[in-house]
Amino acid sequence: MSTLLAMTLPARLDAAAQGVAFVVACATAAGLPPGRVAKIELAVEEALVNICRYAYGEGAGEIHIRCRCDESGQFLIELVDTGRPFNILAQPEPDLTADLEQRPVGGLGVLLIRSLVDQVTYRREADRNILQLAVQQSR
Amino acid sequence: MECQTQELANVMLVRLAGRVDHTTAKRLEDQLLPQLDSAAGVDGKVVLDLSNLDYMSSAGLRVLTLAAKHCQKQQREIVVAALQPLLQEVFRISRFDTVFKVFKTVREALETIAPAAASVYEGH
Repeated sequence: MSTLLAMTLPARLDAAAQGVAFVVACATAAGLPPGRVAKIELAVEEALVNICRYAYGEGAGEIHIRCRCDESGQFLIELVDTGRPFNILAQPEPDLTADLEQRPVGGLGVLLIRSLVDQVTYRREADRNILQLAVQQSR
Repeated sequence: MECQTQELANVMLVRLAGRVDHTTAKRLEDQLLPQLDSAAGVDGKVVLDLSNLDYMSSAGLRVLTLAAKHCQKQQREIVVAALQPLLQEVFRISRFDTVFKVFKTVREALETIAPAAASVYEGH
């Protein structure tokens, strides 16, 4: 699957599942094993939820999802939105060494995204947030 | 997402099944947290059986953290058992080993924290 597959969905939490299902279908079609697809699924859910909540907040908009494989054998997922500038990678990481009493209740989503795929990059381009998740197919 | 409970001696066994994502996490919160208060007796313990839980995102981890904090306040022990591979990975990344004791099987959890409950437990 070197061709580009794309879909656009409304930037709403109740629509995120459609985007996740699309990426899962693309990753499966690209030949990634189920265990890797499951990790991608989780990373994409976390990313879409973050974009809906923080790039758009209460505002309406769309998220454009593109999936492709590149020449170096990477499966690439791009999540593009036109919300306010939102660099998911600049979010502070939760303190996981704290005692249970002090431990933050949430904030694990970004950590999961970073950990479950091989590479995450963010760029702001032409008033768009572009978040790219990359997964090596051969690993 | 399903959440079923069973009382075994002084242990409440909570079986979670299916998927806990950002759409179902609230349902888990509404079902699980009230159950923790009714865990058998004042010294009742809780075992979360995750053997049929296929998927859990950070929204679900948030609920588990709330459950752990809730139990800590009540000085009630809560442990988890039987994580599938994706959940093992998620627990590792999130350092949930510092939040819960994790056991390979429900039986192992029961034998460790409540042998009386293990003797009446019929599963693995």
